[in-house]
Amino acid sequence: MIYLYIIGVDMAQPRVFCLVLLTVALGAQALTPSHHLSLSDVERLKGLLSQPFTDLASAYYSIVGLSKLGAAVADENDACQFLKAQLDPMSVDSLFFAAEASQAIADCEMPVSNETRDILLAAVSEDSTVTQIFRAVSALSSLGLPLASQEVVAALVARIAKEDNVLAITTALQTATRLSQQAELGGILEEIEDLAARLDDLGGVYLQFEEGLEATALFVTAAYTLSDHADTEPPLKEDQVIQLVNSVFSKKSWDSRSEAFSVACAAAALSSNRFHVPVIVSTQGPATVSHSQPILHLLVTDILSNPLASANLLVESAQAVASKSVVLSQAPFSLRDGIFELNFMASQPASGYYQFTVAVTGDSRLVANQVELKVKVSTEVAVTNMDLSVVDKDQSIGTKTSRVDYPFKAKGSFTADSHQNFAMNFQLVDANTGVELTPHQTFVRFHNQKTGQEVVFVAEPDSKNLYKFELDTAERKSEFDSMSGTYVLHLIVGDATLENPILWNVADVVLKFLDEEAPAAIQSKTLYMPKPDIQHLFREPEKKPPTVVSNTFTALVLSPFLLLLILWFKLGANISNFSLSPSSVLFHVGHACMLGLMYVYWTHLNMFQTLKYLAIIGSLTFLAGNRMLAQKAVKRLASK
Amino acid sequence: MSNSVISVISRFLEEYTTKTSNKLKVVDAYLFYILLTGALQFLYCLLVGTFPFNSFLAGFISCVGAFILGVCLRIQINPDNKGDFLSISQERAFADFLLAHTVLHLVVINFIG
Repeated sequence: MIYLYIIGVDMAQPRVFCLVLLTVALGAQALTPSHHLSLSDVERLKGLLSQPFTDLASAYYSIVGLSKLGAAVADENDACQFLKAQLDPMSVDSLFFAAEASQAIADCEMPVSNETRDILLAAVSEDSTVTQIFRAVSALSSLGLPLASQEVVAALVARIAKEDNVLAITTALQTATRLSQQAELGGILEEIEDLAARLDDLGGVYLQFEEGLEATALFVTAAYTLSDHADTEPPLKEDQVIQLVNSVFSKKSWDSRSEAFSVACAAAALSSNRFHVPVIVSTQGPATVSHSQPILHLLVTDILSNPLASANLLVESAQAVASKSVVLSQAPFSLRDGIFELNFMASQPASGYYQFTVAVTGDSRLVANQVELKVKVSTEVAVTNMDLSVVDKDQSIGTKTSRVDYPFKAKGSFTADSHQNFAMNFQLVDANTGVELTPHQTFVRFHNQKTGQEVVFVAEPDSKNLYKFELDTAERKSEFDSMSGTYVLHLIVGDATLENPILWNVADVVLKFLDEEAPAAIQSKTLYMPKPDIQHLFREPEKKPPTVVSNTFTALVLSPFLLLLILWFKLGANISNFSLSPSSVLFHVGHACMLGLMYVYWTHLNMFQTLKYLAIIGSLTFLAGNRMLAQKAVKRLASK
Repeated sequence: MSNSVISVISRFLEEYTTKTSNKLKVVDAYLFYILLTGALQFLYCLLVGTFPFNSFLAGFISCVGAFILGVCLRIQINPDNKGDFLSISQERAFADFLLAHTVLHLVVINFIG
C-alpha cells in the first residue's frame, strides 16, 4: 500500500536515492508516484531558470526551459537582443542555442545567411558527433531552412552504431523529432526500447540511468516527444513510467541550469503527451474527517501540479482497517472549485482508520489512476460514570463510592492505608455517537506535590469495555517508595483518533504506608551526583617474617658447614698432596673464579652475560683441570 | 624385634667404620652436610612459610642436586664398583662431578632471584 504525499509539503531535500525513504510493499496494486513537483517546487524550478544568463547556452536553457513550464523570461526584448549580440554565425552550437531560444520568444528572428545554411548542412554527416548533428538539425528546423530527413536518418544510424552511449542515443531520438514524419523513423524508434532496457531498477521504486538525473530526464523527454511525433505508443509499461517519474522528480534542488532544464522538459513531456499522463491524487491538509469537518478534500493533478481538466474521481471502496468492513463502495466525488469533495461522515463511520481505494477516470492516457489512501476519522471522547471508592481488603466495611463528573474535582479527599484498596471505575464513550471507545492511552497518574514523585498506572478495560483501576497500597508501596502523603490523581486519555485528549484532575488521594523511610526522595536527587572517589590500592607486598627469625634460620642453615669441617678434620682430610704445578694452580683459580661468577650473576648479571664469562673461564678451567687430573692419574697409577 | 634392629644397626656402624676407606668417608661427611642443610631449609619452609617460594625451591633443589651428584661420585670412585665403571677413572668421575655442579649452580643461581 502506498501512502500519498500531502500537497504543499516543501520537499527541499537533497537527492536521496535511498530505499529507507519508502517502506513500499508492491502488492497486487500498481505503483503510484511518490514524488512529483508541487507548486512550490515548480516555482523553485522557474526561479533557478530565471537567473540572469551570461552566455548563449544558459540563455537557451533559461528561455526554452521557462517556456516549457508555461512561463517566460523577465524581459523578452532584452533576451532577444542578447541572443542576437552573442550569436556567432560560424559556430553550429551558437546557431543552435540562438535559434532554439529565439523560437521560444515571440517576434524574435535570427539573421540567416547562405553561409549559415551551408555550415549547418555540412554538420549533418557521419563524421560529426550526434550532438553536432542534433544541433545542426534543430537549428535548421528552427530557422525554417530545408533539410533532407533521410540523409539525417542515415547519419544518425551510422553514429549510433559508433557512439553507443546513453546520451548519444537520447540525442539521436531528439533529433528524430525534428525530421519529417515521412522519413524512416522506425529504426530510431526501436532505440527507445533498447535504451529503456538499460535503466537501473532501484528497489522497484526508481528507474534511472547510472549517468544520472539529467540523462534520465532527457531520455523521458526524447521518448515522449518522438512517440508523439511518430504517433506510436512508447514501449514503456505503466510501472516503468511511474518509476521514471519517481527518479526524475525526487530531486528538489538542482545543481545546474542544464539539470533544471532537463527536469522542466521532462515535466512538460509527461504532463502533455498523447499516450501516458501520470496522475497525482493528494489530500489538501491531513486526511482527517470528523464531525466538525465531515468533508474529505482531494486534489487531482498532473506532475506539474496543474489540475486535470477532464477527470472524475470515484471511491471504489472504503474499508475500516480495524474491522475490515466495507463502509462505502462506488461513491463519486463532487467537483467544486477544482477540488474533489466527499462527505464521508454521512456514511456514519466509527472513529478509526479507513483504507480508501480511489480511481481517476475520464482520460485514457492516465497512468497510475488507482490510488490507495488512508483516511482517519476522529471523534471526541467523553468520560462517564466515574466512580471512586475506597474498598476494605477484608470487605468487612462497606465501600464508599463517590461519583465525579468531568471536568470537576471530587469534593473530599480519599484516604487509603495498607488495609484498603483505592478503586476507580469509569467508561469512555464517543461524545457524538455514544459508542464505547478503547483509546490507546488511559493512564492514572499520582503526583506527590511535596516530594515531586510521580507514579503512573495503566487503566484497563474489561470485556464490557468498562475501565477499572485498583490500587493496592500494600502491594504497590515500592513504586511509591513508601512515602505517605497526599497524592493528586489525574486521569490521562489520549489516542490518535481523539480530537480532545483528556487530562483531568479527578481527586486527591491520601496514601498511608507502613514503615516509612524518611528521606527517600533525596535518593533520586543523589542518583546523578558525583560518586565518591575510588583510590587505587596497589598490590600489597607479601607479609614477610620478622628479621630475627630469618637471621636465626640463616645461621642454622649455615651451621652444618662447620660440622662438615669438623668431620673432615676428624677424618684426617688434608691438602698435603697439593702440587704447585701451574695447571693445578690455574685450575683452582679458575674454579674459584667460576664460583665468584655465580655470585656476580646473582647480583648483577643476566644469563647471557654469565654464559659468556662462563664460557671463557670454564674453558680455561677445563683445560687446566684436565691437565691436573691427568697428572694426578699418572701419579696414582705410578704409585700403585 | 627391637633387639634385632639395634644389633643390625650396631653391626652396620662397625662395618662402616672399619671397612670403608677414608676417601669415601670424606665424601660421606660431605653428603651428610648437604643432607642437613636441605633438611634445615625444609624445616624453615614448614615453620615460617613459603615466601619467597622461588628462593626456597632454588635452595632445596640445590641441596637435592648436590646430594645426588655426591652420591654419583661416591659410587664411581668406590673401588668395589670398579667392575661397573671400567672406562671411568677416578679423575674422570671427579671432572664429571665438577661439570654437573657448574650446570646445577647456574640453574640454582638463576632461580634464586
